[in-house]
Amino acid sequence: MTAPLLEISGIEAGYGNGPSILEDAGLTVENEKIHCIIGPNGAGKSTLLKSICGMLKIRKGEVVFKGKRLNGMRPDQIIALGIAFVPQERALFPKMTVRENLRMGGYRMRDKNELERRVGEVMERFPILGEREKQHAGNLSGGQQQTLAMARTLISKPEIVMLDEPSLGLAPKIVSEMFSIVKMMAEGGITVLLVEQNARIGLQYADRGAVLDLGRTIFEGPAAEILEDPRIKRLYLGGGKAERKPL
Amino acid sequence: MTDILQVLILGIALGGVYALMGSGLSLVFGVMRIVNLAHPILIIGGAYVAYWAFRLWGADPLATLPLAALILSATGILLYKLVFEKDAKSAKYSEMTVLLTFSVAMIAEGALGSAFTNTQRVTSPDYATDAIFIGDLFIPTGQVYAGAVSLAIIAALALFLKFSRFGYAIRATTQNREAAELMGVNVNFVGVVSFAIGVGLAGAAGSLISFVFSFFPGKHWEWIAVLMSLVVLGGMGSVLGTVVAAFALSVIAAFVGAWIGSTWSTMTFFLALFVILLVRPQGLFGERPELA
Amino acid sequence: MIEFANQTEDSVVEARKARVLKMAKGPSQNRAAWFPLAVLAILLVFPALQFVGNFNYFIHLLLFAASYVAMASGWNILGGFTGYISLGHNVFFAVGGYFAGMIFARYGISTIILAPVAGLIAAILGFALGWITLRVRGPSFIISSLALVMIARILFDNWEFVGGAAGLALPANSLPVEWSKLPYYYAFIAMAAFAVWASYRIKHSKFGLGLRAISKDEIKAESAGIDTRLYKIGAFAVSAFFVGMAGAVWGEYLTYIRPNIFLIILVSVNMVLICLLGGKGTVAGPVLGALLIVAFNEIFVATLGASEINILATGLIMALTLLFFPLGIVGTLAKAGKLPRILNWD
Repeated sequence: MTAPLLEISGIEAGYGNGPSILEDAGLTVENEKIHCIIGPNGAGKSTLLKSICGMLKIRKGEVVFKGKRLNGMRPDQIIALGIAFVPQERALFPKMTVRENLRMGGYRMRDKNELERRVGEVMERFPILGEREKQHAGNLSGGQQQTLAMARTLISKPEIVMLDEPSLGLAPKIVSEMFSIVKMMAEGGITVLLVEQNARIGLQYADRGAVLDLGRTIFEGPAAEILEDPRIKRLYLGGGKAERKPL
Repeated sequence: MTDILQVLILGIALGGVYALMGSGLSLVFGVMRIVNLAHPILIIGGAYVAYWAFRLWGADPLATLPLAALILSATGILLYKLVFEKDAKSAKYSEMTVLLTFSVAMIAEGALGSAFTNTQRVTSPDYATDAIFIGDLFIPTGQVYAGAVSLAIIAALALFLKFSRFGYAIRATTQNREAAELMGVNVNFVGVVSFAIGVGLAGAAGSLISFVFSFFPGKHWEWIAVLMSLVVLGGMGSVLGTVVAAFALSVIAAFVGAWIGSTWSTMTFFLALFVILLVRPQGLFGERPELA
Repeated sequence: MIEFANQTEDSVVEARKARVLKMAKGPSQNRAAWFPLAVLAILLVFPALQFVGNFNYFIHLLLFAASYVAMASGWNILGGFTGYISLGHNVFFAVGGYFAGMIFARYGISTIILAPVAGLIAAILGFALGWITLRVRGPSFIISSLALVMIARILFDNWEFVGGAAGLALPANSLPVEWSKLPYYYAFIAMAAFAVWASYRIKHSKFGLGLRAISKDEIKAESAGIDTRLYKIGAFAVSAFFVGMAGAVWGEYLTYIRPNIFLIILVSVNMVLICLLGGKGTVAGPVLGALLIVAFNEIFVATLGASEINILATGLIMALTLLFFPLGIVGTLAKAGKLPRILNWD
């Protein structure tokens, strides 16, 4: 068996000097698969993604990407290794045009011509963005913004893309569009790690899944298995008492 | 008619200088979310560089402008490392940061006052007292030079921000610090460099004001309110907005000075600050009231 | 996986509840109310020492400190409880001073009697100004407060009726020199005690709770049904009241009113610094801070003299406090759980 692309083991992390949100989170991300992390509000799903890309200090445990330890590295250094992250807020530059936003996606590229070529490629593949090339990102609709944020990750050709709730605040029809982009990324050989509040949909598209609760990973396995497990169904996929009372 | 034109010209010439004074402040706020109340005393620091170079070597303040900018940039980096770095990493700016720059302003005022006394100073190159006459119009050469050089520096800054790779990084960090980080921008480095540029602009502005206004360390309080009115009217963090606001207020202040009395000329800026906060806290160009 | 197998739905709900509770911090109730009362009693009998020697200088220092306790406690209601930092509160100091000073000069009514009225005038002005400036928060508010000082300075410098930049002389009282300071001494001690008592009462009232909610998160406070605008403006007015009251008596004590006594930035900086150093948002903080700053001022002015050095040193103390003890003495000790009972007045 080859080593996993990204291996997270026993990490503890929190904001500033605050209490630890993650207490013992672990995850194995294998190459070229779609991974989906589910769990209730406040379980630490977003915190996990943020600590992977260096936006939070890891207090214990380690994150290893392709055999390299990421602990203590700055976000810009981690991004340079081939990790892309689209946070919940989508991280766009509201007063830059769509084209400028895409260009920022290749900020670390030195070859200007190659950058322009890839920007053109992405705008061709996503006509919705190509048509709005000169519009400010702040004026796009929610779905367009999410598309831009996801498309932008393709510019730098990362090995893994992490998405924090790509379906947040979007209409059901748009949600399925977002997931088709996720599928497309995976088919293009990009590993996708996504966090979804909308557990059922997320798991349907995913190959593997993990359940995070109370800052701990409590289950990891094939997505189909999670969807079928009666206990997880009751606790995390809706209908159960715990699901109705998020604390 | 000539009177009006005369006042207009004086207002515009000074507007250029105010624009340069405010643009560094605006840049630092945009990138770092630091309201640098020490900016005006740093401008006065730049003016002292010009003053001493003039007094010791008879050097033209325009010629020593790069020197003043460089010395102040270095001071800026030092300040950043000593005072702001710890805060910058937390990327969460608060009132505390404003108070911190306020303390720095007091420290610098005290230090400059102890070293150079609170005597009014001015540099007097030949052009400072010269004037061009067009018909009945009287155009002071010093102010025209200062305004023109200011505009040239601002234009260079604008081009740098719009087209260079680092300019992209600065704008990206201004708009969304976290997102810039996720694009692989080293935001701490962008922060230091922007701070150095901003304070360097203060140094450059200092050279220019050294022959336009008389100055002494205690004068910076007045300029804090003047420059803040420009930056707030322009929409905090927008360099272009600051420039437009500088011209607008400077012209109004020139008219107030000419028609009502010079005491009330600076009052224009202070009152403007109040009115803006009341009517449009996000300024002319700000889209959302970020600080409001 | 074993852990998961043992969980029931209820145990998951319980575990989540426990986690939420763990993240919240419990308050401590450990205060010594007798201590401030004892200090007050000592201060009230202190002038009796004049019978055995000349303690005028100490009386001056205590009076000076008490005036700052009153002003800083007032400032603290807006700056500490509500989280709106004002660098322009010396405007109310000036308004109080000029209002009472002018009436005293014209009609001979003692400023000590006028002080509450002067405070009220300052509060009304504070209400009006707060209505304008409290639309903005954070750095914008701080800047607007600075602009306020600049505007006030120009106005008072050019207002001939109150003497312009030269100011007005006020008559000194006719008491023998060893007793001449006492009326002002008792007036300032009374104001300081009243300000401390009032800030304690406010902090524990519904009003104070609302103010503290605003300082934590204004949007949440508003959605919790607090009329944040009214609360903030109220806090502004109350804080202006105490500063105005202190200003009223200060003019008569100095025997003159002049813009460069009231409207220099160092006065408002001192209010801010006292609260920062002592502990912003605590009741004891402004008292402790005022004592330290007044003592420090005396040492500095006596040994180094120059006002430039004083400005430098004030800035340095402020910077060091902000960088290393942003919670101030009382706040830092309380956070570490090491606050002595006698300093816990909250």
